[in-house]
Amino acid sequence: MLNKLAIGGIKHRIRDYSVLFSGLMIAAAIFYMFMSLAMNKDFLNSNSPAAATVFIFGFGAVLLAIITVVYINYANKFLLSMRQKEYGMFMMLGAKSSKISKMIFVETFIIGAIASVIGIILGIFATGFVGQLLMKNLDMPVKYFSSFYMPALITTLIFFIVIFIFSALRNSISLRMTKVLTLLNKDSQPTRIKRNTVWTVFQAIIGLIFIGIGYAAMIHMGSNPIFIYIGVPVALVTIVIGTYFVMNSLTTTIISALKKNGKFSQKGLNNFTLSQLNFRIKDYTKILSMVSIMFSLALGAITVGLGFYQQIDTVVNGQKYYDSQIININSKEKALVDKMSGASTNRYDYKTTDKTVYYRQSDFKSQPFTYSHFNMDSMFSTQKKSTSLNNDEVKYEIQSSMLPKNQTKEIKAVSDQEYNNIQGKANSITYVKTDSFRKNLTPIKQVSEEQQSRFPSMKNAIADKYVVYKNINGFFSGLEFMGFFLGIAFLAMLASCLMFKILSGAAGDVKRYNMLHKIGARQKALRASINKEIAVLFAVPATLGIVHVLVGLQMFKALLMKPYSNLALPFIIFFVLYGGYYFLTRHLYKKIVLK
Amino acid sequence: MQNIVDVKNIEKIYGKANEKQFKALSDVNFEVQPGEFVGIMGASGSGKTTLLNILSTLDTPTRGQVKIAGEDITQLKNNEMADFRANQIGFIFQDFNLLENLTAYENIALPLALQNRSNKEIKPAVARISEKLGLTEILNHYPTELSGGQKQRVAAARALVHQPKIIFGDEPTGALDSKSARALMDTMTKINQEDNVSILLVTHDPFSASFCDRILFIKDGEIGQELKNESHSRGEFYQEILDSLGTFAE
Repeated sequence: MLNKLAIGGIKHRIRDYSVLFSGLMIAAAIFYMFMSLAMNKDFLNSNSPAAATVFIFGFGAVLLAIITVVYINYANKFLLSMRQKEYGMFMMLGAKSSKISKMIFVETFIIGAIASVIGIILGIFATGFVGQLLMKNLDMPVKYFSSFYMPALITTLIFFIVIFIFSALRNSISLRMTKVLTLLNKDSQPTRIKRNTVWTVFQAIIGLIFIGIGYAAMIHMGSNPIFIYIGVPVALVTIVIGTYFVMNSLTTTIISALKKNGKFSQKGLNNFTLSQLNFRIKDYTKILSMVSIMFSLALGAITVGLGFYQQIDTVVNGQKYYDSQIININSKEKALVDKMSGASTNRYDYKTTDKTVYYRQSDFKSQPFTYSHFNMDSMFSTQKKSTSLNNDEVKYEIQSSMLPKNQTKEIKAVSDQEYNNIQGKANSITYVKTDSFRKNLTPIKQVSEEQQSRFPSMKNAIADKYVVYKNINGFFSGLEFMGFFLGIAFLAMLASCLMFKILSGAAGDVKRYNMLHKIGARQKALRASINKEIAVLFAVPATLGIVHVLVGLQMFKALLMKPYSNLALPFIIFFVLYGGYYFLTRHLYKKIVLK
Repeated sequence: MQNIVDVKNIEKIYGKANEKQFKALSDVNFEVQPGEFVGIMGASGSGKTTLLNILSTLDTPTRGQVKIAGEDITQLKNNEMADFRANQIGFIFQDFNLLENLTAYENIALPLALQNRSNKEIKPAVARISEKLGLTEILNHYPTELSGGQKQRVAAARALVHQPKIIFGDEPTGALDSKSARALMDTMTKINQEDNVSILLVTHDPFSASFCDRILFIKDGEIGQELKNESHSRGEFYQEILDSLGTFAE
């Protein structure tokens, strides 16, 4: 009978349960996704140039495990908050507490188990989908990547089962320990916030000092990569502690300052919103700090991932100036070149003998040859022009773009008259420069393939820019892939953590909003108040997180040439996703608290 | 003089046309004059809460007309209803309904803040009503730090601060001990007499009802009987109410 009642209870709250359930599923899916990467050593080693990758991923896995435990803890509290009144009623009607605690154990465990299994299946599909998406859209060849990876599956399953056994135990024990009356009258009774100015200031200072240490460690790591093994843990710990203190002291100070300003606070629902926030922040400090840390990790991962992506172009452009090179251009290739935007061509004639390749001096006079000059000190390349073939770098460039059989021959530039007298087959090579290599990738690729089919010997030579691009792309895309993957996984995790925390407090707010409605607050005003409140709860950790990321990018100074050059895109991607969670949260929250 | 409340032929039916219907109110008529203290009594399920919800624009009648301060509230749109509640009505609930994350002062100031009154107006208004209700000392306390009686006085102050035309009380003494209940009723009588505010009290407690000028008895959704306190003492009126309840219940 009681079981029937319990199931009936679930049915009544199917909406709340579906939120909980989908959250747990997402957690399991993300955990699986991460594990399928982190545990796959072949994948890691083949896709990353950095030796520290396996270490970094191991560290990430530990972090994710901690986050998952915290996350499930929140979800679990949400579950208990939904059920305790009902269970209290059963107990009041005479159900034994042992029976009730058994019921809550079974309920928690079953929900957890089903969510984990479905989540893992979801994770397999999501891994495949995201993997395909990234590989296709970003033109990334990723090796050893498979969406179904048995060790990851088993690890995820065991990890989640263990967590849920503990949560179930905890739920049933905490229910057994609570008095029936407390269960029945479970009303959040906020205590008065006692503010000690000295303590607040102290916290702010301590927080800033800790953050300073963390930032220093990250900046130091940028120029001393060896430092990474100590630096990463140090930065992580100090920044986490620092963030907690800053969050606790600064936000409450700002809110109480706003509350003191009567002009602002006594307007409409402002005071109510501020009070809600004040109580929330106190209660939320831990989760907000965690969210801000995860926010920076996620945003950092995406930024760095994209940084590597941008790097590909920089590196490729630094290697070769001309986007395409064509030996004895034919009509098909001519048509392809015409398709490229902003294309300008240099055409040089040459004749080959057994030992020498002859060029016309006049060709170089009329069409100066541009080449990339690589400066070993600054690690940047600059473009230079030359009207003569006697320059070694020009010679090298020209040589490397010839057919393999000619590459060992000597190169000579001769006058038109001499050139005409040379006996040998007349050939030409055409260099093409477009306004953007990336934009014209498709025709450039087609030209490269056409050349390789016309001159099969070119297949094994690194000749044109496209081939260079292909090699470098393979190298960097592993890093990029991981950055994206980690970033999105962390983001989904953190946003749903925050969402659950907010939603699990919603039940207690119903009465407040109902009262405001009764004394004449317009629906619009109530909605605006909710929007503002949730916006602040989302924005505070995001702001702190952004600062962390901007400083954190210093760590990648050695790996990325210009870590700050392309911030816009990752930030936009990130805010669209994060914003989506904000809107979902406020929508669900309103559904709970407003009639 | 215009009536503060004018209820004409209202009817409330729950349930859709094709479902099983339940008539909570049928053909209810009454009016409340300015400055009058009216009680509505009835057993649980008699329809008194439905009536109060309709009067306070939280619910709409199926048929009939309700005018408050000359305005037909059944014709109001959603926002107008909210504004109407914010401007014209004061509420006192059984369970106080104070916001526990606001101080007493902030709770009392809330209706004025909702109307976007300036801080300059809010401060003296709160001070005035707090003084009247003896709350000046506890304005900076949070509700959890107050006794039941104090909480209810804060709630009463909140109901009065914006000088509404009428105050609706929904079992305001329901959660109070007898001493606090008596103090609250004395306060309400004082406000009623000094400030000429109309009060409509829904209760099933004869003691609270004995403070009223007039009592409407409601049964099965209809007003069955009316009892006026014609300059008796409160004790006599109390006895009269008990007698009426005895006969009315049968």
